[in-house]
Amino acid sequence: MSDAVVQAQQSPVGSQQSAVGSRPILQVRDVVKRFGGILAVNGATFDVEKGSVTALIGPNGAGKTTLFNVITGFYRGEHGSVRFKGKEILRKPPYTIARMGMVRTFQITKALARMPVIDNMMLAAPDQPGEHLLNLVIRPGAALQREREVRERAEELLELFQLAKLTNEYAGILSGGQRKLLEFARALMAAPSMLLLDEPMAGINPTLGARLLEHMHQLREERDMTFLFVEHDMEVVMGHSDNVIVMAEGRVIAQGPPEEVRRDKRVIDAYLGGGAAVGEG
Amino acid sequence: MTELITVPLAVTFESFTSLGFWTGVGILAGIYTLFTLGLQLNVGFTGVVNFGQAGFMAVGAYAMGILVVDAHWSFWLAMPAAIGIAMALGVLIGLPSLRLRSDYFAIATLAAAEIVRITAQNARDLTGGNQGLFGFDESWNSLADTIDGWLVSLGWSDPETLFPLLIMVWLVALIATALLYFAQRSPWGRVLRAIREDEDAARALGKNTLVYKLQSIAIAAALGALAGFFLAINLNFLAPDEFLPLFTFIGYSILVLGGLANYWGVAFGAIIMWTILEGTRFVDLPLSAEREASVRFMIVGLVLILLMAFRPQGTFGKKEEMVLGE
Repeated sequence: MSDAVVQAQQSPVGSQQSAVGSRPILQVRDVVKRFGGILAVNGATFDVEKGSVTALIGPNGAGKTTLFNVITGFYRGEHGSVRFKGKEILRKPPYTIARMGMVRTFQITKALARMPVIDNMMLAAPDQPGEHLLNLVIRPGAALQREREVRERAEELLELFQLAKLTNEYAGILSGGQRKLLEFARALMAAPSMLLLDEPMAGINPTLGARLLEHMHQLREERDMTFLFVEHDMEVVMGHSDNVIVMAEGRVIAQGPPEEVRRDKRVIDAYLGGGAAVGEG
Repeated sequence: MTELITVPLAVTFESFTSLGFWTGVGILAGIYTLFTLGLQLNVGFTGVVNFGQAGFMAVGAYAMGILVVDAHWSFWLAMPAAIGIAMALGVLIGLPSLRLRSDYFAIATLAAAEIVRITAQNARDLTGGNQGLFGFDESWNSLADTIDGWLVSLGWSDPETLFPLLIMVWLVALIATALLYFAQRSPWGRVLRAIREDEDAARALGKNTLVYKLQSIAIAAALGALAGFFLAINLNFLAPDEFLPLFTFIGYSILVLGGLANYWGVAFGAIIMWTILEGTRFVDLPLSAEREASVRFMIVGLVLILLMAFRPQGTFGKKEEMVLGE
């Protein structure tokens, strides 16, 4: 493990992956993000394999959400490189990155409160010609046609996420857990090739959570979709990811398959100050 | 009018039955419907606070006036050009300030509007300064005569002088309201509302929010310019005092009266507002003219306070949308 990290930091192309086969969709190299004098992310380096489920874990304040924000363009990374599908995306605006197929959710949900649930969903659909004023005049038919397709897909997803009853309600009346679900479903509406989920399971009941995880695996298998998620529930992390990246104090301290990571001494130190293996307590 | 002033402490309702009074109120309400539709688009549907609508109205009106009077353009060509200039100014103000938090943009628009007004006051060679700019409305007058002719042929022997303007301003206001209403229900309008709710969420879903905010501001500026043309025609001249920041805030009062996030409420709010503002001119109090003018705004203030107390969402606003706004 430690050799792999060191090697990755030395060679810009990176070649530490072997378990899933080497076809990285996301390559993060030596990313630095500073807030004043604080290094929130201090040289993070890792790869995410296409079609994999990767968990990003670490104690509070490890820099996970900041790293998410740098990768998705919400923060300007000061140093390093982030390549998505082989293209440099560091310091690209968020909407460009989203259009390239990398869509994220937020730790604190961003439900569009004064819009109906269905509009929250339909907003996310890509390639809607009706989002341009000129198209509304010159080809309104295309916009209407796309609206129909999009609505159908949105209703399917709402059904799956058990939000169908709330279709026409304002998103502002949803509970915290329902907002989490809505945001997950809305991100899927965007038809991403890679989804970054910031604590997707927080506040969701375990039965529904299990269904969503099942759906995640299904999407991965059927559409080769890639998932990178921040999660504190170790059962979810250990049971559902192919790879785990562990951050502490702004650095990636370990990465690899779950069973390997949970026995890594540095990970145990970071989490528990030594003593037990992660996820077995 | 003159008789009224000589009788102290009298309220005469005669004027409320006169067609001339209502024509005047109607024209102002129509002008401010157009004006406030821009604010509704910005504030009610995009979440962008524009305090410079009077400035866009000034730019539209003065650009048209200068092009016609000083550059001898045709009135009909000068208007689209003036709309273009107002829109360009909106984009120019928006480009640096819309990237920042919304209060910066609000201040930038207010400042820009004042720059426009004070420039108009001082660039006397172009604008006539406080003396006013005259002589841009010949083309309109001949069109008004044609409309008058139609009114006569419909059987109205002596039509009210300003009636053609009333018809035209409401025709344009209704078309603008309907267009905005439909645009708002389109996917384009959905993106604007998403920006109002949470710009980061919209960006995370692939929307170039800056472009949408600039469009919103440019359309508002165009509506302000349109309002400016009608204001200029209504007055027969242009003077900087017609574009004080006060008028932007009258627009906001109309917005609150009609209700946020409802285009049809704007016309309603504008009619109520100008009925109060013009109607109170006929309330004769033993006060100096200056103080009486202040009383008008005190009445407007009282109406707004009562509205906030009993119907905070405005006449046509949705209560849920107020409560859910965090």
